[in-house]
Amino acid sequence: MSTENVSTANKSGVSAKSKTSAGEYLTFVLGEEQYGLEILKVQEIRGYDAVTQIANTPDFIKGVVNLRGKIVPIVDLRIKFHLGKVEYDEFTVVIILNLNGRVVGIVVDGVSDVMALKEEQIRDVPSLVSNIDTKYIVGLASVEEQMFILVDIEQLMGSEEMALIDSVAVH
Amino acid sequence: MTIDMSQFYEVFFDEAEELLAEAERLLLGIEIEDPDTEDLNAIFRAAHSIKGGAATFGFMDMTEITHVLENLLDKIRKNEMALTAEHVDAFLAAKDVLKMEVDGHRLATEVDQEQVADVKMMLKELSEAGGVVIKPTPATVAPEAPVVAAPVIEAPKPVAEPAAIAAVPDDGLTRFNIVLPEVTEKDMNNLKEELGLLGDVESSKNESNRYVFKLTTDSTQADIISICSFVLDPDDLVITINATVTATIAPVEAKPAVVEDPGFGLFEDDEEPAAVSAAVNPSVSAEKDSTSGVKIHEEVGYGLFAENGKENVEEGYGFFAPFKPHKDAVVADLIGDDTVTTEANSGKAELVKAEVATAATKATADAAASEATDRRNQGRRDSDKAPASGETSSIRVGIEKVDQLINLVGELVITQAMIEQRISQLDPVQHEPLINSVGQLTRNTRDLQESVMSIRMMPMDFVFSRFPRMVRDLAAKLGKKVEFVTVGAATELDKGLIERIVDPLTHLVRNSVDHGIEMPAGRKAAGKNEVGTLTLSAAHKGGSIVIEVTDDGAGLNREKLLAKAKSNGLTVSENMTDTEVFGLIFAPGFSTAEVVTDVSGRGVGMDVVKRNIAAMNGVVEIRSALGYGTTISIALPLTLAILDGMSVSLGNSIYVIPLNLIVETLQPRAEDIKTVTGEGRMVHVRGEYLPIIALHSLFNQHTDITDPTEGVLVLLESDGKKSALFVDRLVGQQQVVIKSLETNYRKVAGVSGATIMGDGGVALILDVSAIIQMGQTSNYLTGAKPFSHYQNQAIEHKAISKEFTK
Repeated sequence: MSTENVSTANKSGVSAKSKTSAGEYLTFVLGEEQYGLEILKVQEIRGYDAVTQIANTPDFIKGVVNLRGKIVPIVDLRIKFHLGKVEYDEFTVVIILNLNGRVVGIVVDGVSDVMALKEEQIRDVPSLVSNIDTKYIVGLASVEEQMFILVDIEQLMGSEEMALIDSVAVH
Repeated sequence: MTIDMSQFYEVFFDEAEELLAEAERLLLGIEIEDPDTEDLNAIFRAAHSIKGGAATFGFMDMTEITHVLENLLDKIRKNEMALTAEHVDAFLAAKDVLKMEVDGHRLATEVDQEQVADVKMMLKELSEAGGVVIKPTPATVAPEAPVVAAPVIEAPKPVAEPAAIAAVPDDGLTRFNIVLPEVTEKDMNNLKEELGLLGDVESSKNESNRYVFKLTTDSTQADIISICSFVLDPDDLVITINATVTATIAPVEAKPAVVEDPGFGLFEDDEEPAAVSAAVNPSVSAEKDSTSGVKIHEEVGYGLFAENGKENVEEGYGFFAPFKPHKDAVVADLIGDDTVTTEANSGKAELVKAEVATAATKATADAAASEATDRRNQGRRDSDKAPASGETSSIRVGIEKVDQLINLVGELVITQAMIEQRISQLDPVQHEPLINSVGQLTRNTRDLQESVMSIRMMPMDFVFSRFPRMVRDLAAKLGKKVEFVTVGAATELDKGLIERIVDPLTHLVRNSVDHGIEMPAGRKAAGKNEVGTLTLSAAHKGGSIVIEVTDDGAGLNREKLLAKAKSNGLTVSENMTDTEVFGLIFAPGFSTAEVVTDVSGRGVGMDVVKRNIAAMNGVVEIRSALGYGTTISIALPLTLAILDGMSVSLGNSIYVIPLNLIVETLQPRAEDIKTVTGEGRMVHVRGEYLPIIALHSLFNQHTDITDPTEGVLVLLESDGKKSALFVDRLVGQQQVVIKSLETNYRKVAGVSGATIMGDGGVALILDVSAIIQMGQTSNYLTGAKPFSHYQNQAIEHKAISKEFTK
C-alpha cells in the first residue's frame, strides 16, 4: 500500500546515519514492507502458540504465553500497524525480543534474513515521513534494490502507545 | 601484587552484621552473675573478627572501637573483672555504634561521631576502672606464659635480651617476630603498614635475605596471620613470640585449673640460664587435650616445646625442650601422656641446647627448620579451623540464583505434569513400564521441589532475634518489667515473608509492651507477678505458619471498645462476637491514645499492620481476656511463591482465585437472584444480599453463560467486603506457582499475577480485592463497559499506525 511512498523516500535520502546504526539486522516482513531490527535484541524466533488473553487490553496485545516459565506478552505488529493478513497458522512467526531484560514477543508476517549493514548503506529517514514514526525509525537501508525500514524496536516497544509497560518508563 | 579490596567489602559487611547480631543475642542472653565462659568467648570472637576485618579493609573507626571493646571483653573473659549490667549496656551500645559504622561504610549513612566517642570513652573507662580493681591473680598471667618459651627455636635472642623482655610491661602486649617468605619490597611495605595498625612494627632483614618484622601488639597471632594472608600464603610465615612475662608466673602446681584459656606453655630446661623461667600454662592441662589447639586463634598464642620426638609435633604443640624428671611428672599429668614424651634423652637435650644457642642468632639448624615446618603446618591447621567455629556449614548464595533454581524446578514440575497427563491416555497394560517410570519421576520431582523451596526458607529466629533487645530497652524506658520468651524460633518461613513480617511484628510487640503489660505496681495489685511475660511464638499449622504475640497484660476491654467505636461513628452492636469487637482496633484511626484507657493506643497503626499482613495473603486474629492478656495471631502462607488456588473457567480461559479468599461456592436458584434498579444483580445467601460481579462483563470476555443460574457464584471476601463472582464453572483446586506479569508486561487491573497450568498454558490469578472494588465502582452494572479508555486508546493507535504506514 505504501511502497511507492517509501521508494521515493529512499531516493530523497540524504546523509549517512550515525555510526551506531551499522551492524547486523534481522529483517522481517509486514505486509509488503521489509523491516529490519537489530539482531542483538532478538532472543529467539518461534511459532505462534496459544496465548492467554488478558482482559481489557488493546487488540494488538494478543495476550501472554509461557516461554519456559516466563510469562511473555505477545504483540501482533500486523494488527498494530494494519499490515498484512491477520491469520494464525503454523507459518505465523513470533520474534522473541529481549529488550533490556524485558522479554516480549512480536508477531510478524515472516522473517527473511540476517543482514550486515554498513554505515553507507543506511540513509536518514526523510522528513516526508511523519514525525511520530520517525522517532522509532533508525534509518532506511537499501540492499540490492530492496528497501528496509530499520526500526528502533526498543523505543517502539517501550513507547507509551504500545501499552506494554506501566507508565513509569523502563529506560 | 595488589588486590582490589572493595570486592570483599560486601562479604565483610555481611559478616560483620551477622557477627554483631550474634553478639547482641549472646549479650542479651548472658547471666550477669554467672556468665557462661563460652558465651563470653563467642562475644569476644565476634568483636575480634570484626576488628580483624575492619583493620584489613582500613575501616579505622571500626577497628578503634572494637579494639577497646575487645580489651574490656578480654579482661572479663579472663576473670580479671566481674561482669556487670553496666558492661552489658556498654557492649550493647558498642554494638549499636558498630552497626551504625557498618551502615555508614556500606550505605553511606550518617555516623554520629559523638556517640562513637561516647561509647569509646565509656568502654575505656570501664576497662580501666575494672582493671585496677580486680587485677592480677596468678591466673591472669598464665595465658601469656607461652610467650616465654617461644624464643627457644626461632626467636633470635630470647636469652640475650632479658632486659628487653623485662622492659616490656605486663600490659597484654606481646612481641612477635615474623619472618616473611621471599616477597617484594612493595608487599613488605604494604604488610608493614597493615601490621602497623596492630602495634609497633620494626622491619629488618635477616641473613637469608628475608624480611623480619618485630611487632609489639596486644593482638593475637591469628590476627597477624589473617592480615598477612591477604598478601602472602600464611603457611610461609614464621611467627614466633618474644617473651613479655617472666617471673610472675606462679608455680604450675599451685593453680592448675584456674585458667581455662587454652594457651600453650613452654617447657624450658631448668638449666637454661635465661631469665625465661620454667613456665607451664595450666591451660594446656586438665580437660583440654591436644584438640584445644583449635582455640589458639583467640589466645595469646602458643609456645613451642622443644622436643625430640616427632609425634609431639604432630600433636600440635610444637616442641618440648627436654626437662628434668621432676617436671615431667607435673607436666605429664597436666598435659596428658601422648602430648609429652617423657623420655628425655639427655644426649639429645644437650643437642637441643646447643641448637638453642645457635638459634639464638640464626635458626638454620636442620632440626629447627623441619620442626618449624611442622609447626607451621600446625599453624595452618589452626587457622583453617578458626573461622569454622562460627559458620560451619553454610554458603552464601545470591537470592536470584535461588529464585532461578526455583523457577526451573517449577518448570520441571509443569513438564512432569504434562507428561503425566499424556501418559494417562495410554493403555495402562501395554505401557506399564513407562507408567511406572513416570510415577517415579513424579515422586522425585515432588521431592526436588520441596527441597528447592526449602532453600528460601529461613528460621523465624531471624525475626525474633531482634526483639529481645527492643523489649528490654522499651521495658526499661517505661519502667516495666517484662520477660521475653520466644517459642518455635526454628520454624521456617519464606525469606520474602520473613523480611516483610518484621515491621508488623515490631509494631505488635511494641504495642504489647507499651499498652498490654501493666506497670509492676498495677500487676501486683491485680495479683499477678510483677514481671510481665511477652511471648512470641511461631508454629506450622496446616499449610500456613502461625505467629503469635502473647502478653499476660490487661487484655482488651470489650465494653470500652464498643463505646469507643460508637463514639467514632462505627456501626456496632452489642451482639457482635468478641472477635468482631476486637477486630475493631484494626479500623483505621481507631483508638488513638486517649479514651480506651488500659488498652489506649492499641489501635495506632493497627490498620497498617492488618494491611501489611493482608498483602502477604495473611490473616490477623485477636484473642483476649480482660485481665489475663491478649494474643494477636498472624497466619501466613508458607511462601509467596506458591498459592493454593481454585481454578475457574470463563469462556475458553482459566482463571485462578486464591483459595483463602473464597468463602464458598454455590449455584444460585433463580429466586435468589434479585435485581436492583433493574440492572444490578444481588444474590441472597443465608440472609445476606451480596452483589454479583460477572467476570465476563468485567473482563469483556465472551462466554455463552450469562445467566448466574447456569454458572457458578464464588463468594469472595476481602478487606471485610463480600461479593459473589459469577463465572462459568469450577475447574479444580490446585497449588500454583505465582509468576509476575510485570516482569515482562505490566500491571493488569483485576489480575495479581499469572501461573502456568499443567498443559503449559498460562492462567491469570485474580486479584480479589481489586475485583471487588472494580465491581463496586465500575459501571458494568449499567451495561457500559469498564476500561473503555482502552478502546479509545486502540482507536488512537489505529490513527497513529496509519500515519506510520504512510
